[in-house]
Amino acid sequence: MSEHTFQPRIIAFCCNWCSYAGADLAGVSRLQMPADFNIIRVMCSARVAPEWIIKALLNGIDGVMVLGCHIGDCHYISGNHRAAKRFVLLKEMLAFVGVHPDRLLVDWVSASEGRKFQTLVTEFSKRVKELGPCREWQVEIQTPQR
Amino acid sequence: MTEFTLQDQIRDRAKQLLASEQVKCVIGYEHGSRGQVRPAFIHQINDVDSLVWNQGCTHNLVTYLRDIKGTFGSDEHLQRVAIIVKPCDSRALNVLLAEKQIEREHIYVIGVVCTGIVEGAGYAGQSSDKLQTRCVRCSDRVPVIYDLLVGEPTHPEITDDYVDLTELEAMPPAERAAFWLKQYERCILCYACRQVCPGCYCSTCMFERDDSLWVGIAAGVKEKEAFHLGRAYHLAARCIGCDECERVCPMELPLSLLNHKLAKEVQRLFHYCAGDEPSQSPLATMLAEGEEFPA
Repeated sequence: MSEHTFQPRIIAFCCNWCSYAGADLAGVSRLQMPADFNIIRVMCSARVAPEWIIKALLNGIDGVMVLGCHIGDCHYISGNHRAAKRFVLLKEMLAFVGVHPDRLLVDWVSASEGRKFQTLVTEFSKRVKELGPCREWQVEIQTPQR
Repeated sequence: MTEFTLQDQIRDRAKQLLASEQVKCVIGYEHGSRGQVRPAFIHQINDVDSLVWNQGCTHNLVTYLRDIKGTFGSDEHLQRVAIIVKPCDSRALNVLLAEKQIEREHIYVIGVVCTGIVEGAGYAGQSSDKLQTRCVRCSDRVPVIYDLLVGEPTHPEITDDYVDLTELEAMPPAERAAFWLKQYERCILCYACRQVCPGCYCSTCMFERDDSLWVGIAAGVKEKEAFHLGRAYHLAARCIGCDECERVCPMELPLSLLNHKLAKEVQRLFHYCAGDEPSQSPLATMLAEGEEFPA
């Protein structure tokens, strides 16, 4: 696959209370964004199980974003505290098994930060494009779908 | 003959505990039918003399506490269990205590001062004079938690240099990915690593649920990798590095490498070492004042 045609597949986990609204704001403000990401709405960034990210990256997703409320603004008070700690460790583990840590992005987007959402998605998409497909050397193995 | 006396002390205490009905069972070590050391569950005073202590006592007996969880009777007849622990095992006790898996008053801990366990221990005819890798880098001679301490405490100056990780860490990422893929390909999904682990106590493992959206039903390399990475992550900041998973693995996968790497990163990021105290893992607590992530 040449770099020119490579279209990364990105999952963005957005928390219901801040980041999803931020993404929504970016949308209604008609900000230009790459179209290669899919948003999955979760109730809190702490709901994002690290296993999901591991599974996504092993199964053909090229990059994962986890976006939550700013520290201190969590709807559940301390959910994003836990997310912050978990994913910084997960990055280290992914790097150790040969997945580039830049394929996972954790950041905070509030409901009013449509512009920040746009910047994050654009930059991340660019970065993942540079990195190329994740695990292309094992694409022939397919998991049966339910 | 220090070891002889240690063993005698263990037997003496086990006898006392069983005779006074302070405990219902003593979990310790005995000689197996082929001369190897194996875990023993002593209920009768007559059987106490089969208890042994030597450098082949590699098993982490804390694993077996999982099986007696919930079997304690009512308070009228408290059925306590005595357990023999090495320093590493005692840290697993702390992890279980912090996670409320066991009650402190339900266990009587016989802590043994440990000078290291030899390679090949637990298997008949494989014992050598060489210390296990985990013991070479271990400075814990005294259990962190005990009711009775057996042996003379020493405090050697050994620091973990993570030398086993340097080779992998120096590899380019693609090679490292290939290395792990090659290892996980050999996995036969027997789950022995999980069964032997004191930290893996979920009654239904996430990776074996009927709803296997977590891990596909195929026994492909991706599923194996997801299982091993997921398990390693579940044990992050909880793994005490007893390396039992690696010892029991029939395919001899280097499972301890990933656990050791995570322990290293947890130490670096959170200044936390699993089991040193019965405290919650940093991954389950809030950020401290002034602590900021993602870095």
